[in-house]
Amino acid sequence: MNDRIERLKSDAAELKVGKGAGRDGLYQTLGAVAMGVGVVMAFAAYQLSLAKDDTRDIASLQILAISMLALAVVGAAVFLRYSLARFLRFWLLRQLYEGQAHIDQVVAALGDRDDNGAPSSDRSRTAPLS
Amino acid sequence: MSDDAARPLTGIETEVPPLELVAVHAAYGGIEVLHGIDLAVASGEVVALLGANGAGKSTTVKVCAGLLRPTAGALRVAGHDVTGAPSHELARVGVCTVPEGRGVFPNLTVRENLWMATQVTGDLAALEEAAYARFPRLGERRTQLAGTMSGGEQQMLAMSRALVTDPAVLLLDELSMGLAPIIVQQLYEIVAQIAHEGISILVVEQFAQAVLGIADRAAIMVNGEITRVGTPAEMQSELSSAYLGG
Repeated sequence: MNDRIERLKSDAAELKVGKGAGRDGLYQTLGAVAMGVGVVMAFAAYQLSLAKDDTRDIASLQILAISMLALAVVGAAVFLRYSLARFLRFWLLRQLYEGQAHIDQVVAALGDRDDNGAPSSDRSRTAPLS
Repeated sequence: MSDDAARPLTGIETEVPPLELVAVHAAYGGIEVLHGIDLAVASGEVVALLGANGAGKSTTVKVCAGLLRPTAGALRVAGHDVTGAPSHELARVGVCTVPEGRGVFPNLTVRENLWMATQVTGDLAALEEAAYARFPRLGERRTQLAGTMSGGEQQMLAMSRALVTDPAVLLLDELSMGLAPIIVQQLYEIVAQIAHEGISILVVEQFAQAVLGIADRAAIMVNGEITRVGTPAEMQSELSSAYLGG
């Protein structure tokens, strides 16, 4: 067991602490920011291009507008990906919980039927400490 | 709580404890439920965390398992501060939890439930052999859906699944939940065997008498604080007031 404790010590020392916990939320926020900035900047660049006479300026601003649109699309994708991951994780947990509750009900009902209405002994709670 | 209470009492006091909580505060949103928990579990020691419903026992286990980040204080594993480490990383290094409600997959068979743990250990045959040697009942029910087994058998499966990951620290949350006293007694005898193998065990239990027989130390929680730590014999007189608030 000393080996196990030594391994625990070395593994614990290498543990990355506090990096993963809020990563989903961080990426979700970054995605939302990129989406917002992209849309605003694309609109602004396009509006500016309308006021230009020189075709080179117009082309530059329109390239900038298209780039910002691309940033908005990428931001939206990142935002959706991490929003959906959060939602699906929660949904999966809920499914597991409901599935367990349903099976508990079925097993309890079958136990009751076997015992002619008496509750199964294995499922009765232990008496609390007095 | 005093420093003496936080320190292990079982002759291994100079050793760095595999699991240690230092002045841990934890909250759900704005509601603080742990108000400065100090607790250490030494190597091969069984520590029982006792208290009435709502005392903060399960929250303490969540903090130990990395499921809830403390708002203050530190979680230490083998002397290293791992506060904020995600639960899967803590499980990987050897801090394993058997959650309240067992957490087995009800629609999978016993074997399939054990297979889920092979992602960590890899060797399915060895894993099954070890699990069935410790719990022969599971061997008899290897092809049965876990959800159709009795509560005691499900608890055995949950413990098996945790043990095949070769844990250094085992967190047991309300092992006796929904089980007959004789089943609980059998399960705690197995817990004692596991501790003799050197695994550190923190048991959260509402029904104190169920666990005091095998615990090396017991701690009583009241309203998010550990009010007393001592040997099971010392704890007996404290229990009534802890549960009844007297």
